[in-house]
Amino acid sequence: MGEVILTMKEIDKSFPGVHALDHVNFEVRRGEVHALMGENGAGKSTLMKVLTGIYKKDSGTIIYEGKETEFSSTREAQDAGVVIVHQELNMVGDLTVAQNIFIGREPKKGIRIDDKKMIEDSKALFEELNIDINPKEKMSNLTVGKQQMCEIAKAISHKAKVIIFDEPSAALTEKEIADLFVIIRDLREKGLGIVYISHRMDEIKVITDRVTVMRDGGYVGTLITKDSTKEDIINMMVGRVIYEDPKTHSMVAPDAPVVLKVENLNAGKMVQDVSFELRKGEILGFSGLMGAGRTETARALFGADPKQSGKISIMGKDGQLHEVHINTPQDAVKAGIGYLSEDRRRYGVVVQKSITENSTLATMEEFTSGLFINKAKEKKVTQKYIEELATKTPNAEQLVVNLSGGNQQKVVIAKWLIRDCDILIFDEPTRGIDVGAKNEIYKLMSKLAAEGKSIIMISSEMTEVLRMSDRVIVMCEGKKTGEIDISEATQENIMDKATRNID
Amino acid sequence: MEKIKQNPIVKKLGLNRIILVVILILMFIVFRVALGSKFPVAESITSTLNYVYFLGFLSLGVTFVIATGGIDFSIGPVMFCCALMSGYCLNSYHVPLALAMIISILIGTLFGTFNGWLVSYMSVPAFIVSMASMNIAKGMASVFTKTQSVSWPLASDPVNGWFRSIVSVNGFPVGLVIFLVAAVICGIILYNTKPGRYILCLGSNREAVRLSGVNTKKWEMLAYIICGTLVGIASLFFVAAYTTVQPGYGDQYNNEAIAGCVMGGTSMVGGLASIGGTVIGVAIISLLQQGIMAFGLGKGQQMIITGIIVIVAVYADVSARRRKN
Amino acid sequence: MTNKKKKSLLSDQRFIVLLVIIALVIVYSIFSKEFRKYTTILSMLDFSYYNTLLAIGVTFPLITAGVDLSIGTGMICYALIGGTLVRNYNCPIVLAMLICVAVGMIIGLLNGILIGVMDLAPFLATLCTCMITRGIGSLFSATPWPTNGQPGGWFHSIFKLTFGSGRSALRLPIGFVFVVLLVLLMEFVLNHTKFGRYTIAIGSNKEATRLSGINVKFYHVMVYVVSGLFAGLAAIAYAAVTPTVQPGTGAGLELDAIGGVFVGGVSATGGYGSVIGSLAGIFVIMLLKTGLPYIGLSANWQQIITGLVLIGAVLIDILKRKRAVVA
Repeated sequence: MGEVILTMKEIDKSFPGVHALDHVNFEVRRGEVHALMGENGAGKSTLMKVLTGIYKKDSGTIIYEGKETEFSSTREAQDAGVVIVHQELNMVGDLTVAQNIFIGREPKKGIRIDDKKMIEDSKALFEELNIDINPKEKMSNLTVGKQQMCEIAKAISHKAKVIIFDEPSAALTEKEIADLFVIIRDLREKGLGIVYISHRMDEIKVITDRVTVMRDGGYVGTLITKDSTKEDIINMMVGRVIYEDPKTHSMVAPDAPVVLKVENLNAGKMVQDVSFELRKGEILGFSGLMGAGRTETARALFGADPKQSGKISIMGKDGQLHEVHINTPQDAVKAGIGYLSEDRRRYGVVVQKSITENSTLATMEEFTSGLFINKAKEKKVTQKYIEELATKTPNAEQLVVNLSGGNQQKVVIAKWLIRDCDILIFDEPTRGIDVGAKNEIYKLMSKLAAEGKSIIMISSEMTEVLRMSDRVIVMCEGKKTGEIDISEATQENIMDKATRNID
Repeated sequence: MEKIKQNPIVKKLGLNRIILVVILILMFIVFRVALGSKFPVAESITSTLNYVYFLGFLSLGVTFVIATGGIDFSIGPVMFCCALMSGYCLNSYHVPLALAMIISILIGTLFGTFNGWLVSYMSVPAFIVSMASMNIAKGMASVFTKTQSVSWPLASDPVNGWFRSIVSVNGFPVGLVIFLVAAVICGIILYNTKPGRYILCLGSNREAVRLSGVNTKKWEMLAYIICGTLVGIASLFFVAAYTTVQPGYGDQYNNEAIAGCVMGGTSMVGGLASIGGTVIGVAIISLLQQGIMAFGLGKGQQMIITGIIVIVAVYADVSARRRKN
Repeated sequence: MTNKKKKSLLSDQRFIVLLVIIALVIVYSIFSKEFRKYTTILSMLDFSYYNTLLAIGVTFPLITAGVDLSIGTGMICYALIGGTLVRNYNCPIVLAMLICVAVGMIIGLLNGILIGVMDLAPFLATLCTCMITRGIGSLFSATPWPTNGQPGGWFHSIFKLTFGSGRSALRLPIGFVFVVLLVLLMEFVLNHTKFGRYTIAIGSNKEATRLSGINVKFYHVMVYVVSGLFAGLAAIAYAAVTPTVQPGTGAGLELDAIGGVFVGGVSATGGYGSVIGSLAGIFVIMLLKTGLPYIGLSANWQQIITGLVLIGAVLIDILKRKRAVVA
């Protein structure tokens, strides 16, 4: 490890309503791989965005190569040698590898682009990194792993001194990760400072020299990797007191029947052989880190995305399980499933329409008599649910765009309650919702479960999972890695399963 | 300004619509004052109304399509195709007039179905479908009529002359009544029925509607079918007012119909549609065409002005939305 | 790497299109004596020039997943302006030709600003300029450009060299050479210059292109300027082969060009295209159109066929991509 190349001191950043970074300290030395860890929403990405000029810091200092610096754009950071390799790749699929690496700074020969030089330079880059990629290949023909390598090559070609990897391994195969590590070690040898953001404990142990842990926007501490255990790191990550009472035992009656049975669901890389059962009146928590495949599982189950295989059975009126074929959301809704997306504005509500129109969207048949919509009935029912769910709005004609996040969520809940769905999938039910409204949503979910609705709750917030669930299913990289009854669930054993790399 | 906006009557009618009506009246006064006897009141109103009828049906139709966030600019040529093919049946094969009228509407509906199917089920971009079916319509009409223009029966025709009464009877504007009734029906469909609700919602956020368990493809296609049917009806009003149709034309009405629609407050990105606005928009466009002609200007100026109006109206919509976000 | 495809000739749409052209030529030649005549080929080439020039230009907007509907009426409008200048104002023919191109570029610039800067939907903006150019065109009267032998008539020989006169005259379609050279030039521009590279990049992933620090607005506008420039060139070619330019015409001509480009393999969602492919595509459409009478269909079928070919070409592209996603 060489001298310090980058220091971030007392970085503070607030967004309206959120204190995203609370006096965070972070440093990178030449020739080290420095892991940045923390739960979802701990502030890792925000910190890196402040560093690379996407966000402006409120206070604190950044010292880069001995000088106090503040980049105003990623481009400026890039030119100075601080490059970020994003999780979502920023590639132009129809151009070749070499063309992508040099986009915006193509070498020229007269008016023509010197493709030959570009290809040769790319080859040299790849040789230096020991990567086997044909620079003439079209980017969209490469696997995600190879695309990632190209991003790295692009970063290095900018004469980077500090490279930030934002969850680089999320979409890679074992083999590709091994290749990636070879490259990272090589870069470390060359004296670059590397920031490595990841959730995977095993990787952290293998590749990094130091670990900095963040929690709730604050700096927790920095450890030397080889002197610390996995448990030390996990404890630092979760080590907060849970302010809301966690559930201590399942509220589901021991003899409650199974209402939904999913067997060997497969849908792409993110849903592999997922099986589980949901019982009447149960809140089944789905825990895991970002990109674990939980939303994908829900969408495949709901018919929103195509699935390759899997048997889904749902309890019919006769109390028996019957296999249902769900290929479209229509099928799912008919079978009595309602889905509340994590991204309400895109997938949940029609924001430019009124509460009434949104509430009855899934149940139009009920509100049409003959040809016409029975607006009086529509209004009455919507009003009833506005009162029942305590939605804060002047009236039922209010456009949804004018409601707060929590109230928008209530409109979506109303939509499925009016439809009388027995199975509700809540995907991140409280994302973007303030604390007071959060509690209301929680109470509502508990009430629904007590009334006999069955709920699948996908959540990235540990406290939420421990507070609401009767049973917790943990996923990691598209596979189910654990199933824990709430009476045994702890942050530690959930986190352990969520970061487990299964072979 | 705020005060005016809060006025209950203004609120009920919509400020934009009131402004449009004021524009309409002002335009009429300006034309009258500037042109004097070249713009006689009664005749001008009649000729404007004749234009309103067919353009109005086109505009109502395309309002449904634009509400889904799509576009159909094959409507002008398709209207001509309907009038030409059914008129040719009437003249050369001597089919009964009533049947010819039904054929007209059927051809329109078929084109709508074809367009809708390609756009919704086959996911072909709407502008490509429009472009193709515009030319298919022109080609079909030319092939069918052997490139001859077709004249529909005159009012003096003892057998078939009665069909002119869809436009007027003894000077009474029957056409206006039919058009307004049609507009009211369109309004009811759009705002008071399930299909209308789905069309508006999917134009605003297709994915949210699909995830509510609605068959979005079916309802999107329906919008194009409704549009096609209305285009078929438009063709009848066109020939009832102007008698003769020539193959190979009709494009200019695309823009005029879209202009009427967008001016009336229907948003090009979908989800927002105003039938009342479309009616007033069509009236303004129609009056404008009469005015331009009364000034002694030709088709050329008409097209230029309509083109500019559409650009301005759409840009106003785009920038209003950008401000909101 | 699992999805690396072996590049075979058969997977290249341009090659398949070439086969289609050869097949059509053979079929027509067998069934029709008329088709085999030199004059037939000559007249087909005559009409291919402006179509090809339009197609070269519109290839660029189509690669950005946009479209330019104003090229057909625009071309007529520019030809009318040029012709009127020569006829009524004694404008030198070279200047008239330059003005054609310049006006084309101005309309292109207008399209570009509406689309690239003001964010209007490409089809809508160009539909309006289509109407506007048609309207401007209608303000002129039907104009013949100078014919062969008249002062300025030499411009015909850009496209067709005539030796001798009357029936025995030898006519050489050198315009074809000229057009092919332009195709090659623009293929070079598309593949080997910044402009071409960024055109593809905008069509493939506009946001990623912007984030790479490229002035996307500028290049987006330029794409339409190029389209307008070629519509201007097409106006000259059109004037050279058509005795009189009629105002109010030109609607529908853009369809031949756009249809040809799609047949030539441009992707309906942008990001891929080839000017050589567009040339081949145009010839498929030209052959289908000129060949119809030889198989007993009236010329009125032309529009129907082009419409269907356009939808067919786009559908093939869409289905191909759907399959690629599933696989």
